[in-house]
Amino acid sequence: MTAWLRSSIAVKMALLVLGGTGIVFSLVLTYSYVSSRHIILNESKANALNLALAMSRRIEQEFRAVAKVPQSFVAFLENSEWDEKVLLTTLQRMVTDNSEIYGMAVAFQPFAFNKDVRAYAPYYYKTVEGLQFCQLATPEYNYFQQDWYHIPVELKAPVVSEPYFDDGAGNTLMTTYSCPFFERSDDGKRINVRGVITADVDLKWLSKLVAAINESQKGFSFVVTNTGAFVTHPNLDYVNRESLFSLAETRGDPKLRPIVKQMLSSNKGFLDLGSTLGGQDSFLAYSKILSTGWRFGSVFPKGEIFAEVDQLHHITFIVSLLGMGLLLIVSVLVARSIARPLKQMAAATEKVAHGDLDIQLDAARRTDEVGMLAQSFIHMAQGLKERDFIRDAFGRYVTQEVVNRLLESTDGLKLGGEIREISMMMSDIRGFTSLTAHMKPEDIITLLNRYLGTMVEILLDHRGIIDEIIGDGILAFFGAPEPLEDHPERAVACALKMQDAMNEINASNLAHGLPTLEMGIAVNTGSVVVGNIGSDKRVKYGAVGPHVNFTGRMESFTLGGQVLISQPTYERLSDILDVKNVLQVEMKGFDGKINLYDVKGIRGKYKVSLQDFDEALRTLREPITITYYRLNEKTVSAAVGTLASLTSLSAKEATIVCPEPIPIWTNLRIALHRDLGEISEAVVYSKVVSQEAVDGRYRIQAHFTSVSPQASTIFDHAI
Amino acid sequence: MKKVVAILAISLALFASNSMAADPALARVTFIPQWIPQAQFAGYMMALEKGFYKESGLDVEILRGGPADSPLEALQSGRATFCSLWVSTAVQHRAMGVKLVNLAQIVQHSALMIVAKKASGIINLENLNGRRVGLWEGDFKIQPLALFKSRNLSVIEVPLYSTVNLFLKGAVEAMTAMWYNEYHTLLNTGLEPDDLTTFFFRDYGLNFPEDGIYCLEKTLIDNPSVCEGFVQASLKGWIYAFEHEKETLDVVMKYTDTAHTGTNRAHQTWMLARMKDLIFPNGDKAVFGKLDVQQYLLVTNTLQSLGFIKNAPGYEDFYRGQR
Repeated sequence: MTAWLRSSIAVKMALLVLGGTGIVFSLVLTYSYVSSRHIILNESKANALNLALAMSRRIEQEFRAVAKVPQSFVAFLENSEWDEKVLLTTLQRMVTDNSEIYGMAVAFQPFAFNKDVRAYAPYYYKTVEGLQFCQLATPEYNYFQQDWYHIPVELKAPVVSEPYFDDGAGNTLMTTYSCPFFERSDDGKRINVRGVITADVDLKWLSKLVAAINESQKGFSFVVTNTGAFVTHPNLDYVNRESLFSLAETRGDPKLRPIVKQMLSSNKGFLDLGSTLGGQDSFLAYSKILSTGWRFGSVFPKGEIFAEVDQLHHITFIVSLLGMGLLLIVSVLVARSIARPLKQMAAATEKVAHGDLDIQLDAARRTDEVGMLAQSFIHMAQGLKERDFIRDAFGRYVTQEVVNRLLESTDGLKLGGEIREISMMMSDIRGFTSLTAHMKPEDIITLLNRYLGTMVEILLDHRGIIDEIIGDGILAFFGAPEPLEDHPERAVACALKMQDAMNEINASNLAHGLPTLEMGIAVNTGSVVVGNIGSDKRVKYGAVGPHVNFTGRMESFTLGGQVLISQPTYERLSDILDVKNVLQVEMKGFDGKINLYDVKGIRGKYKVSLQDFDEALRTLREPITITYYRLNEKTVSAAVGTLASLTSLSAKEATIVCPEPIPIWTNLRIALHRDLGEISEAVVYSKVVSQEAVDGRYRIQAHFTSVSPQASTIFDHAI
Repeated sequence: MKKVVAILAISLALFASNSMAADPALARVTFIPQWIPQAQFAGYMMALEKGFYKESGLDVEILRGGPADSPLEALQSGRATFCSLWVSTAVQHRAMGVKLVNLAQIVQHSALMIVAKKASGIINLENLNGRRVGLWEGDFKIQPLALFKSRNLSVIEVPLYSTVNLFLKGAVEAMTAMWYNEYHTLLNTGLEPDDLTTFFFRDYGLNFPEDGIYCLEKTLIDNPSVCEGFVQASLKGWIYAFEHEKETLDVVMKYTDTAHTGTNRAHQTWMLARMKDLIFPNGDKAVFGKLDVQQYLLVTNTLQSLGFIKNAPGYEDFYRGQR
C-alpha cells in the first residue's frame, strides 16, 4: 500500500494537496468557529445580563409598590389618632384597593392593642366569594410564634417571608411582607414594637412574568430567594420545596453548589453552569432583586446560543469537504497529466539507454513546462546522436582519448596546460605548393585526401595526437594527453611507417595519372607545454614551446623519403635504430652544429624498416636536356629558366650540370626537354643537396621531391 | 393566613382516614408521631408500606402529627393507640401522673445541638455568654438549660419557633437545631459546615435518648400482644428502611407530598442517614430498640435537678420493652 502510494506521483500529489487544503480548511474553520462563538457568546452574555437586570428591576418596582401599602399604614398607625373602627376600615380599604395584596393583618404585641386583650390581630383577605374577615388570635393559632410576626419583632425591621402556596387563595404563590410598627415617645422617637402589619402578596404576576419570558426565551428563567429556594421555576414542583442547594445535593454534582453560592453572594453576573442545571451545557445570567434579596436567573443552553453558528459551520464544513473532493479530482487530473508524459519519457530514457535515439514524445507538442521538458528530452536525444557523430568524425583526427577527454569531462575543455615531455613529429610533402600550382582543384583534393587519409590512419594506429593539418603538413605528437612511456619509439616507428606508406600512395597516384609525392618527416623529443590552447570560443588540444618550433626547422631539412630525428630522440632509441647518415646542420636561432639522424629503420617492439631503393646514380648514355627554375620559397618564381643537362640518375636523385652555382637546399622545378629540344610536360621538383664546381661548370645533386608521370616515363626509358 | 388553612386541612385528613374501611380480622390501632411526616418516622412508614404491621395482625393507621396535634392528647383521648415521644417528655408526663410506658427506645443518641455562625465569633461554649440564642420552647429547652446551668453561662434567650429564619436573618446569633433537620436546612441555605460552630449535647454529658414508642400502661396490660406486634413490626420497618434507602425515600416523599410539608428529597436523604446514625450509634445493633438504664437516669436526674420533675419514675415502671 505505502509502496503504491510512493510510486505514484498522482496519488502523492493528490494526498499532498488534500492534506494541505485540509489543514488550511480546518484552521480557517476552527478559527472562524472559535471567534464567531466568542462573538456570539459576548453578545449573548450582554443580552442575558440586560434581560436579568431589566427583569430584576421590574420585579423590584412591583415589590416597592406593594411595600408602600403597609409602610404607609405604619406611618398612619404611628402618627395618627385612631380607634378600632378606623383601624378596621383602613385595613379593609387597603386590601380592597390593592389588587396585588391578597390579605392584610395588623397583629399587636401582647396587650398592646388593649390592656385586657392579650392577642389582637384582625385579618382581611380575599377569597373567590369576596372579601373575608377573621381574627387571627385564636387558641389554636399563636401568631406570636409565627415567623411573619416573630422575626420582624425581633429584628425591628421589615421582613419578606419565603414564598409559599396558599390553598385558600386558589393555590397561588404568596409571600408575606411584614412591617413592624412602634410606639412613639412624646418626642416622636420609636420606642417599643407595638405590632406588625402584614401584607400577603399574591405572586401570580411574578409567576406570569417569568413564565412569559420562559415562553419567548431559549432555556428558562427562575427566581430564587436569598437562600436559593425557588420562587418560580418552570417545574412548579420545585417552588416552595426545592432550592438550588437541594438540587445540587440531589444531583450529586459538586460544581453546582459553588456556582449557587457565587450567585447568591453577588448582585449580578454571568456564570458557566456546565450541565449542572437544566441538564445541558448552559450559561447563567442573574441579577439581584434588591428589596427582597431574591435573584432573577436565566439559564441559556450553549447549544441554543450557538445553534446558528454551529449550523453555519456545519454547512461550511460540508462545503469544505465537497471542495476538497473537487480539489482531489482536479489534483489527480493535473498530476496524471504530468505523470503520463513523465512515464512516456521514462520509457524513452530506457530506449536511449539501450542506444535507440529515435524518440517520439506526444508531450513535446505541449507548450507548458512538461512540453518544454519533452522538447528538451528530444533535443537531448538529438544531441546524443550528434555527439556520437562527433565522436566518430572527430575520432578520425584525434585519438579516442582526446575525444573522451573532451566529451566526458568538463575539464577536457579547460584552458591551460602542463609541461610534459613528448615526442613530436612534423611531416610535409616536398614542394607541394609548386607541384599543385598547375593542377586542377579536384585533383589536388583527391591527392591530399588519399595522402592525409593514409597518414592519419597510421598516426592514430600509433596513438599520435594530430595537433594540426595545414594543407599537406601534419603536426602530431605522442605522449599527451595520455601519457605514453614509449612515445619516442612510437613517434619514430610511426614516421617510418608513414614514409613507407608513401610508396603505395605514389603507386596509386601514378595509376590515376597524378604526380608522385615525396614527404619528409622530422621527429623530436622534448618538454613542451601541452593543453587546451585558444579562447573560450575555440579551443584545441595542442603543444607549444621551442621544441615545437625546432621540429619545424628540422622538417625543412628533410628530403623526400627521409625521416630525420633530433639528438634527444636519438639518445633514447640509439640501441634500436638503423641510422643511415648523420647530418650536421646549422639552424637559425640555434648555436653550433646540430646533429640530425637520418633513420632508416627501427627494431624492437615496432620493427619498421624503409625499403632500400637503388640509390646509386647511373650515368646516362645521353644526358637529358633540362630547363630549371629556381623556386623562391614555396612559389615558383617568374624567373626565366636556365638550360642545363641531367647527367646521371637514381630513383631519388639526379646529377645536373649547370652553368651557375646553386645554393644547397634550393628548390628547383625541372622541366625535361624532348628530343626536339622543346620543353615537355614532364616536370620534376627537387631540392639541391650538394654542389661542386667542375671545369667552370657546376655539378649539383638534386633530390626529387615530386616526379610527374611523364617524367617518370622518360626516366624509365633513360636508365 | 396559611396556617389557619393548614389546621383545617389536617382535620379533614384525619376525618377522611378515620372513615376508611378496615379489615375486621386485624386489630385496628393508630400511631401518632410527635412531628410532621419526615424521614424521622421512616421506620413506621415502611412497616406499614411493606405490610409488616399486617403480618403482626395489626391494621395500623399513622396519623399525620405535627406541632398542632399533641401526641399525648391523642393518646389520652384514645385517638391514638401508640405514639412517638422523647424520653424527657414521657418522663415528665409520667411524673405528672399520666400512666404511659416506653415499649421501645428507637433513637439512642441525642440529635439536639446548638449551632452558631463562626463569623459571629462563637467558637466555644463560653462564647455564648451574653449572646442572643434562639431556643425552642418545651422539652427542647431542658438540655440547653442544663448545659447553661452547669457551665454557668448566661445567654439571652429568644424563643424560637418552627423555622430557622430568625437565625438566618440575624435576629439570633445561635440557635438550637436538630442534627438531622435544621442543621441540614442551614447547610442548604449556602452555609458550609466550616462556617458553623456546633455544640452537640451528647458531647457535653447530656446524651438524652430521644424518640421512643409509647402507649398508655392500660393498653399494654389489656393488649400485650398488640403492643408486642406493633413494636416488632416497627423495628422491622426501621431495619428495612435503612437497607432500602431509595425505596424508603420514595415512600417518605409520598408522605411529605401529601402533607405539603415543603421539604425536598435531598433533605430527607440527609435525615434518613442521620436517623441511622442515631438508631444504630456506631453501627451498634445490640442496643436497637432498648432503653439504656444509665441514659434513662441521666434524663431523670437532669429533669430533677432543673426542677422539671419532683419524683423520677422508676426505670422498671417506665420502660417495658426488651431488656
